[in-house]
Amino acid sequence: MPVRLAMLALFRHPARTLLALLGIAVSAALLLDMVMLASGMRENFKGFLMLRGYQLRVAPKGTLPFDSDATIDSATALVAAISKLQGVTAVSPVLGAQVQTIASRDSTVTAFTLGLFPDVQGDYEMMRGADLADSSSVLANDKWLAATGHVIGDTVMLAIGYDPQLQTVVGQRQFVVRGVARFHYIAPTQPTLGMLLPVLQGMGGSERRDRASLVMVKAVSDADAEAVRTRIAGVSPRISAISLEGATEAVEQRLGYFKQLALVLGSISLAVGVLLVTTLITIGVNERAGEIAVLRAIGVAKASIVWQVVMEGVVLTGAGAITGIGIGLVTAKWLERILSDFPGLPSTFRFFVFQPRDAGVALAMLAGAGMLAGIYPAWRAASMPIAVTLRREAVA
Amino acid sequence: MSVRWCIGLLAALYITAPVRAQVIDSAPSRSPLVRTIALDARLAADHGVQLGDTVRVSAAPGDSLGERAVVSALLARRADPSEIARQEYRARLHLDHLQRLINYGDRVDRFAVQSAGDAERATLLDAINSSAFGFRAWPSAEIAVRTSRTFQVVRRFNSAIGVITIVASAAFLLCILLLKIDERRRDVAALRMMGISPATIVNSVVIEAGIIALLGSLAGVVFGLIVARLVNWHFQGVYRTTLAFTLVTPQTVLFACVLSVLLGTVAGWVAARRLVGQPALTLLGR
Repeated sequence: MPVRLAMLALFRHPARTLLALLGIAVSAALLLDMVMLASGMRENFKGFLMLRGYQLRVAPKGTLPFDSDATIDSATALVAAISKLQGVTAVSPVLGAQVQTIASRDSTVTAFTLGLFPDVQGDYEMMRGADLADSSSVLANDKWLAATGHVIGDTVMLAIGYDPQLQTVVGQRQFVVRGVARFHYIAPTQPTLGMLLPVLQGMGGSERRDRASLVMVKAVSDADAEAVRTRIAGVSPRISAISLEGATEAVEQRLGYFKQLALVLGSISLAVGVLLVTTLITIGVNERAGEIAVLRAIGVAKASIVWQVVMEGVVLTGAGAITGIGIGLVTAKWLERILSDFPGLPSTFRFFVFQPRDAGVALAMLAGAGMLAGIYPAWRAASMPIAVTLRREAVA
Repeated sequence: MSVRWCIGLLAALYITAPVRAQVIDSAPSRSPLVRTIALDARLAADHGVQLGDTVRVSAAPGDSLGERAVVSALLARRADPSEIARQEYRARLHLDHLQRLINYGDRVDRFAVQSAGDAERATLLDAINSSAFGFRAWPSAEIAVRTSRTFQVVRRFNSAIGVITIVASAAFLLCILLLKIDERRRDVAALRMMGISPATIVNSVVIEAGIIALLGSLAGVVFGLIVARLVNWHFQGVYRTTLAFTLVTPQTVLFACVLSVLLGTVAGWVAARRLVGQPALTLLGR
């Protein structure tokens, strides 16, 4: 009954109610987007790091993986030491370097190249062709193939750098393109290659001998990961062992601007929504002062009046919120498209991830806001002096 | 490299590498062999390093082969948006010092070249690029464009959020003004009964709505200025930078005021037309 009365009261002024619904729907959409943005990045990043089940990353001390040019020395010994630790099931060292694809003397294509071991790697998945098999094999992504015009089976010349004084390339070597891979952690717009780790280390000369940019470590179970991380940290003072939580926190710190923006905008849209609904229902209550006084005069309880007015706020906010979830999903796609242009962002990374929990949080917050918005007008309606209000209405 | 047509040329060499610093002595070093180093002011504040202190710098953590250096300057963090999210400390060493420290040989990562004038720039670029092997010269403006993609994305994201906020605000503004004018139905009925023309009533309501919208937007500007200060204070503290995160510009103020007055006037006109379109007795509830 209170819901029906609330709806009747709202439909008394359809234009006003529709405008309020539109405003609340857009606010609800913004709130949902901001909740999705705030929680989505964290959840998505965790899943992103766990693509191949490696819970831990080992990077040069004080850095995040591939955050600087710093590398870990004596990588072979480090990998051996980590492999022997209790709870470790797989260890995958990775070296990153810029490699030049020599097309002609004046034409080269720079590709980011990963040196790794295919049997333990967690960086790519094969799309076409064969995996790395020997020291002359190289894997490429589609962007590199498009930039160089090469296809699977082609023989290519790769070099690690230049010597401007001698006007020649250094670390030059011949490879055969064996297959096409998708590299999980590298932007699809970046030409990328993959080769065996010792081969890339060898091309780099003394600078990259036995070095790795990153070592990925798989623990027996997620529960053991923290204990394994502590053990790894004790292996060498030159490394940082980073857990899933540590990496997520570091990235959240970097992307904190978006999270805080989401918090500020979400709060503002909620506050403005509460103000609007409060104003709308207060004016509605003032307009129906006579009716409310009559209801009270014929014996309708105060609680019933309060409940009806509060329900008016909840119905208005609820209807706006349900419409807003649809709008929010559409605007989230739009915003995702904008943010996907971030340079260097892997194709699998998402900023907005819809989770039913997010929609539930947004709906609960809006329902609470609707109730809050109805409290003041409900109190006003319940505390009207019956006789004075009836007399004033009769005179008017 | 021949650059004979360049009247004045100033080159600066840059090299970047991760370097570790460790305080070993607070007394100023008098040895002429100890090189000077400029350290990040945040590092100095966080670890109690002062000007004149002697620190040990090395290419790797725990490296006992590092060198001693005297802190001769503290670097304030630049108000550069590309740096704010990065938490690592910065240090500046003399080029040869850093090259030796990290065993980098006679190499640099980049040169900065200052040309004599804008007219010389294109010729100079061609000259450098035609003689270069393994490197390429770029105009600073182009580098700025290439490296500013992140901020273009942020700007587009903020603009999109702005559009959504404007739609919500517009709906709220229209709704509030409709309510405000709807409340005046009895006044309007009385005016109609006194013989005031509908056009006069519509005009007066529209003017009233416009004034309310203008006053509201001016209050909004004051509120916006306060919020902008709070946002800047908060984020400058979080990122330890002097970068301004929000700016209330005259254009922003003008846009907000014009938009709200326009919306307010339209809402006032729609509401007034609805009111004068009804018989006076209906407006009175008879």
